[in-house]
Amino acid sequence: MKLLLAGLIQLLLAHHALSEHTSNWAVLVSTSRFWFNYRHLANVLSLYRTVKRLGIPDSQIIMMLPDDMACNPRNIFPGTVYNNADRGLDLYGDNIEVDYRGYEVTVENFIRLMTDRVSEDMPRSKRLLTDDRSNILVYMTGHGGNEFLKFQDAEEISAFDLADAFEQMWEKKRYHEMLFMIDTCQANTMYSKFYSPNILATGSSEIDQSSYSHHADNDVGVAVIDRYTYYNLEFLETHVRDASSKVTMGELFDSYDPQKIHSHPGIRYDLFPGGEQEARKRLIMDFFGNVQSVEAEGAGRVNATEWEEDLRAIERMVEEAKRRHNATLAAAPQHASVIEEVKVMEGKRHVATEGAVRVDAAEGWSKQVVGFASLLGCAAIWVVGSWLEAR
Amino acid sequence: MAETDGATASVEPLSTPSTDATSVSATAKPPPETQESIWLRRSVIVSFWLVVVLLGLPVWWKTTAIYRAELPLETMGAWAESKVCQPAFPLKVAVEAPIPAQDAQHLLRDTQHSLDELNDFSAHRLSLLLADAPFVANASQQIVTDGIAVDVSHDEDIALSVRLVPVETGHTPRSLLQPYSPRLDVYYGPSQLPTAASTGSPLATYIAEELHKLFGEEQALLAHLLSKTPGPRAPVAKRLSSGIIAELEHRSTRALKYAPTYHLTFSLFTPINIPSDWDIESALQRYMSPFLDSLTGIHNFTIDTQVQLYSGYTPTVRPEFDEQSKSWTLRKEDLSGFINAAEWPLTPSIGAGPTVNFVLYVPDRSQSPLVVKETGGNSWLVPQWGGVVILNPTEADEAAPAIMTREALAPAMHTFSTQLMSLLGLPQSPGCLPLRISTLVRVRAASLLFSASSTLGALARLYNALPSIPIPDKVAKSVDLTTEHLQLACDSLKEGRFHSALEHARVAEAEAEKAFFERSMVGQVYFPDEHKVAVYLPLLGPVAVPLIMAALKELQTTIRNFKARRSS
Amino acid sequence: MAIDRQKALIFGAAVAVRLLLFTTFPSLPNLLAGRVEVSTPVTSFKRLQEGLFLYKHNVSPYDGGVYYQAPLLLPLFSLLPDPSYFPFASNVLYTAVDSLGAYALMQIADSMQAVTPRLFKSSRKDLRWSSVAVAAGYLFNPFTVATCVARSTSALSTLFILVAIAKASQGAGITFVFALSIASYLSMHPILLFPPLLLLCYDVRASKAKSAPSASRFAVSHTAGLAAACGLLLYLSYLLTGSWEFLQSTYGVRLLLPDLTPNVGLWWYFFIEMFDSFREFFLGVFWLHVASYAPGLTLRLRKQPLFAAATLTGIFAIFTPYPSIADAALYLSLLPLFRHLFPLMRYSFLAAAAILYASFLGPAFYHLWIYAGSGNANFFYAITLVWSLGLSVIVGDSLYAALRDEFDVERPELRGKEVKRI
Repeated sequence: MKLLLAGLIQLLLAHHALSEHTSNWAVLVSTSRFWFNYRHLANVLSLYRTVKRLGIPDSQIIMMLPDDMACNPRNIFPGTVYNNADRGLDLYGDNIEVDYRGYEVTVENFIRLMTDRVSEDMPRSKRLLTDDRSNILVYMTGHGGNEFLKFQDAEEISAFDLADAFEQMWEKKRYHEMLFMIDTCQANTMYSKFYSPNILATGSSEIDQSSYSHHADNDVGVAVIDRYTYYNLEFLETHVRDASSKVTMGELFDSYDPQKIHSHPGIRYDLFPGGEQEARKRLIMDFFGNVQSVEAEGAGRVNATEWEEDLRAIERMVEEAKRRHNATLAAAPQHASVIEEVKVMEGKRHVATEGAVRVDAAEGWSKQVVGFASLLGCAAIWVVGSWLEAR
Repeated sequence: MAETDGATASVEPLSTPSTDATSVSATAKPPPETQESIWLRRSVIVSFWLVVVLLGLPVWWKTTAIYRAELPLETMGAWAESKVCQPAFPLKVAVEAPIPAQDAQHLLRDTQHSLDELNDFSAHRLSLLLADAPFVANASQQIVTDGIAVDVSHDEDIALSVRLVPVETGHTPRSLLQPYSPRLDVYYGPSQLPTAASTGSPLATYIAEELHKLFGEEQALLAHLLSKTPGPRAPVAKRLSSGIIAELEHRSTRALKYAPTYHLTFSLFTPINIPSDWDIESALQRYMSPFLDSLTGIHNFTIDTQVQLYSGYTPTVRPEFDEQSKSWTLRKEDLSGFINAAEWPLTPSIGAGPTVNFVLYVPDRSQSPLVVKETGGNSWLVPQWGGVVILNPTEADEAAPAIMTREALAPAMHTFSTQLMSLLGLPQSPGCLPLRISTLVRVRAASLLFSASSTLGALARLYNALPSIPIPDKVAKSVDLTTEHLQLACDSLKEGRFHSALEHARVAEAEAEKAFFERSMVGQVYFPDEHKVAVYLPLLGPVAVPLIMAALKELQTTIRNFKARRSS
Repeated sequence: MAIDRQKALIFGAAVAVRLLLFTTFPSLPNLLAGRVEVSTPVTSFKRLQEGLFLYKHNVSPYDGGVYYQAPLLLPLFSLLPDPSYFPFASNVLYTAVDSLGAYALMQIADSMQAVTPRLFKSSRKDLRWSSVAVAAGYLFNPFTVATCVARSTSALSTLFILVAIAKASQGAGITFVFALSIASYLSMHPILLFPPLLLLCYDVRASKAKSAPSASRFAVSHTAGLAAACGLLLYLSYLLTGSWEFLQSTYGVRLLLPDLTPNVGLWWYFFIEMFDSFREFFLGVFWLHVASYAPGLTLRLRKQPLFAAATLTGIFAIFTPYPSIADAALYLSLLPLFRHLFPLMRYSFLAAAAILYASFLGPAFYHLWIYAGSGNANFFYAITLVWSLGLSVIVGDSLYAALRDEFDVERPELRGKEVKRI
């Protein structure tokens, strides 16, 4: 026991100042399908690769890809997706986890994901299980317009929907800080309606401006990446080399060059606490990486025998508690637990009726008799009716 | 759109059919309509309009309205602002004294008095009461360490029992806290008993101080919790020094969010092919389950394990060889990147609850021993995620064991259990496990109470802010259940029945979450009114035009006829 | 005797054609039963077999969401041997159903209600086809034959609608009400035929009895009879299945359209594309649209109730949620009763061309969409639009013709002259 305590105290001493968030999540969304939108999927896969490189585990990345470029019959490099004509890096690699694919990428599913209003049987890997200590990176790309972004040519999400979804997240304390990044035409209009605090937003182009692709790969046959994403990635690749990087968001924003991007990227600071100054001071790693603060523990030698004695004591204590609990239960049944037991019983009975049952064809002629009787009944009514009419 | 084509094609001749009857040859003057055809035409028009008005309008009204169940918004807001419930934590402390009842009462009164003076946190109050079963004096001479001595009271709500033991030798008064039973033994000299006349005996002061010390951390925890909730709490809250606040904040970022069930994943990673198996089941049985069992009142646990061979840590992490200690060292910055998130299959999404990861890493012999440079230790904790232990193969294992025995796993299991305690938010003092667990019960009950209340508030604000979201009756029902159980939890807290308070708070929290995350509450995708025109018009327009035109025409003729009759 | 020989020839040939098709192409029934143009979710024989299987195994036939048809079909079909092993019995049944339908059609034609109803004598009343010709038009209509071979249960609804009309045109009130309630029980929308058929029955009764019976008493007693008969059938179904859940799976499916399998109608595509929040509203609008024709047409065509009923069947073939070619077959078989209107119709060629075009290209485009993958849903949908257009042209044009015919009687001096609508 003493040793347990000693360990705890060491833990206590070992701690140092923490950054304010404890987990990082990324929601990466491409909203367009079909081969000629190859670049949108490449955008998302590039971002995916980057955040994974910087330490966000797959379980905390929600990726929505409406199409599978790697397996598209038009892809002359099957099984691969590239974001550069030099084809140096296969984004598809061998370890890609797409959470929402194909026709699952819809406005409704996106909003459900953000607000966590999903069905009970939704696997945890497809849910955004964030809390008030989570930083979220939301990256979206596709075809859009003034205050809307198209999803799969079938529907669209409006800036209002997005703002309301984020507000619901904020109300339920589902994020600590959020970086919203969008690469589409007139992208800056998409974040103009946000009203929830702690969001830092950036987009590729102003209202009435298009967002352009960077370059095409002549062998792939289509554009492979968008300009805004390309220069973001270039910065991240060259300046943020590993998880210990101290590069700030301000430096990233300063690297945006409208000359190169061919549109005017926008940044919205006003929702962020402390405004522009504070926002620019945030580290890239606060959103793109997963800096887990760790608490190193000292090298305590364990006295095995003493510890085993402790464990035995705990065991006895538990047994004792159980015994006493049962005794009180027997004496005066506790309210809550009784209710619970009843529920369990009901559940079991339910299962018994709902479960798989062997079904056999009915024996005998009862069905036929019923059929014959009803047929006869109808015929009788008919005959009686005709007789009455004939009279 | 084809629908409209079809509709117009057949509607037009129908709704204006009687015009055919009035057709004339181009040259002839139109003959007067017969009374019958006028009647016929009107009745046809009326029949179509009746369908539209009597059936169409109600259908339109019913199907385009967004159903919003009534929610008790004010109550919800009141809960969120903590106006309804001022949680209190009256703790019962039973005192067993081998002295006459009168003296005991006197001692109790004195102790209670000094205890109240020491206490600066009015919501958390210790109240002493005399245990009814008197304590047998001669058993007191031996110190009971096994901790299974039966508690005097079978009441689960007694937080602690204080047992007074008269001794002749040694320094008095002194106390001993039983590590596995909520009992404090106080040893006193016979002279230290307060006499009937005296006030403020040293024994009473001593007991009061000891008790105050024991519950110091709990008070700080609860006070910190209370201070973070909105509402009129200033007078109740205890002043905490900034150092303590920082420490508590730090601890709260480390601890996992409350969940009724946690999923524990124990993983063995090794960069080579040994060890290929471990005796994890018996190790868990031996070293983990007693501890997990002791927490059954608060959490349930599910466990899975995995062995992953040829799984090295993140390649960018490069340990250095330290000549001095003949060991490979990891810098502290490396630790956060040590987990190979891209390759290691962690967080398997099994089970309902959040996953707590425990990683056991056995390094290659060529890189062993592997230690943390700064501390020389071999383990670290990742807040809200889990723990990591590097288990260096010892020299004795020169034969490269393929299977790790239970004994070999013991040190790692010990670290894991320490880490789990800290991840669960178990307070660090006092040195008595049952007391710490019961503190956790109180803290969890209070925090669940607050989080359910704040969820209610969020739902209420949402209800007002987003009128386009449908609110089904299920939500209203859940909200009612939440408030009901919140009230029950609050009452239980005030009455000192903390286990039942936790139970109710848990139900309240679950119901509040259910209400907030109701699946059907995804709003209509933003739909400006001009879009609605685009939805209605193409279809209803072609149908409506002949209907309206026919009705207008008919009205016109009626008015003209009426005027003509008046003038004639 | 000549007539009888003709009749025998026609019926014999029809039966022979059907049985020949069944026996020489044993895979044809199953092929047709899988075609969306012939078998809709609410009439498919394959689904009926599934329901039958569940029924025979003492499982609710509506479990699994495949079977959407009336419960009473199950005990009736359980009398037949299993159609997948002994198809002959069901083949004979469907052949008999078609023959009975043709017989009912002959009775309608013989009643002369199409040309000379009580309140109206068409000026072209001599221009008509014999009842045998009308029956032949029904029996050898390829749509009817296809429906029969596909063993779609809409053949049964068609039979009972025809019988109801026949009985109404003979003034046989009780059997008319009973037949119509069976038809409504089987496929719900035939209940909208009640107002015109009630008028028809009343007219016939009035002309037979010389002194017209009390109109209100006639209406009330027949409406009550209809309600009682429907109630009886529903209650029998309740007894059979043990719960009222079948309502949800039969009429609920027809009303709410949860199954968006393509068919020749207009609803499925529209509701695939519909915004979810407006779905219920437009369901209401579409159903009201169908229903609103019944009172309007009945009023406007008060003098020709049989024509009103026939036109309504045409509207059902276009605007109900799950129409198939069987519904069109019914309408197109009723049209020859009104041979006297044909000279007045202006767009016969257009309509015939559209129907033929759709009949040939529909299956081809469906194949391109579903099997070849070289087309999309719009291909097939465009064809269903053409089909509906063709039918609506016929409906609209024949309506025009009927009104023109009425007008000619009213003002004989303008007969044959160009008239202008004001």
